Amino acid sequence: MVRLLPRRRVHALAGAYALDALAAAERDRFERHLHDCRSCTDEVRGFTATATALGIAAAVEPPPELRQRVLAVVAALGVAQAGNAEIAAVLTARDARTTSAGTSAGGTATVVASLAEGKVVFTSFGLRALSPSEVYELWFIGTGGARPAALLPSATPVLAAGLEAGDAIGVTVEPAGGSAAPTTAPIVVMAVAA
Amino acid sequence: MAEPSGVRDNPAERSRPSLDALLAQVARGDQAAFESLYDQMAGPVYGLVRKVLRDGAQSEEVAQEVLLEVWRTASRFDASRGGAAAWMLTIAHRRAVDRVRSEAAAAERDSRYAAAYDPVAGDEVAEGVAASMEAERVRRCLDGLTALQRESIVLAYYRGYTYPQVAEALKVGLSAVKTRIRDGLIRLRDCLGVTW
Repeated sequence: MVRLLPRRRVHALAGAYALDALAAAERDRFERHLHDCRSCTDEVRGFTATATALGIAAAVEPPPELRQRVLAVVAALGVAQAGNAEIAAVLTARDARTTSAGTSAGGTATVVASLAEGKVVFTSFGLRALSPSEVYELWFIGTGGARPAALLPSATPVLAAGLEAGDAIGVTVEPAGGSAAPTTAPIVVMAVAA
Repeated sequence: MAEPSGVRDNPAERSRPSLDALLAQVARGDQAAFESLYDQMAGPVYGLVRKVLRDGAQSEEVAQEVLLEVWRTASRFDASRGGAAAWMLTIAHRRAVDRVRSEAAAAERDSRYAAAYDPVAGDEVAEGVAASMEAERVRRCLDGLTALQRESIVLAYYRGYTYPQVAEALKVGLSAVKTRIRDGLIRLRDCLGVTW
């Protein structure tokens, strides 16, 4: 087994690691070392508990809208997960990641994306209601442009397949029935697939 | 395997049994348990994210992501590796740090909030104190560190700086910063009576 750094120097990184103060490459190296360094593991655990105290001390009452939004999204995703195996597979995928962003149509958009599944689950809260002649449309945005992903007739979570590495997710307002390519500026664009 | 952490005296972990139990219920799909979890932890999650990002709108987005990730991945929580509060705040801190280190977000934040109030030196902890006794304890323990230890820890944890950025900001060497952070955390840990 190759030791990349002398033990004492690795130990010195335990504090910076526990505070997320290592750049990605160094963090990965330290985590590999953690696997067979019991004393590092113990130290990191104590430092993490210490950092947790710093975090608790920073507590601030969040805006009440956040509670309403988070609970509504959790409720909607919970129902979708219970009723749709494909949605459940995305929500429980090991590589899945949740991204939320405010939109220019009000409210927030949330995407759970799994590159391994090649799918996303999209849900929104508080978007401006559209006239019957319009619909929100979801897009996968890659280097080759925007590909239609799904229509979003309501705030109910929607599953879309065809996610590729490097894709961003966008939403536009389109004529009812949707478009083959976006015809308006997106109300939100989110980078989702690392 | 190490003993599960019994962190009675750590304010961060005092309510641990109930948070752990709530997470287990959330993992089984219990919506009411998630509401209770939210009510206990949304303040620390939002406050910590906001401390790092210093931008209300982005902090709400990231706090929402963190709380949804907690709901989605509750079944992966492993109590033998630390308490529920530590698990949730680790997710929150990493997300905030990811965001602050992404250049696009940084540029946006700077332009949108260039004029925003930004107390760099000021009292980092006392500012947003809900749980005031615990925050006061943390503040007193931070005061017990050397200036360099305290500034290194504050810039790294509350500002999301990497330790090379801390070194640059404080004009000290890399190995000095690593050492100050570690020594400072040891003192802070002992002052707070954290066991793990």
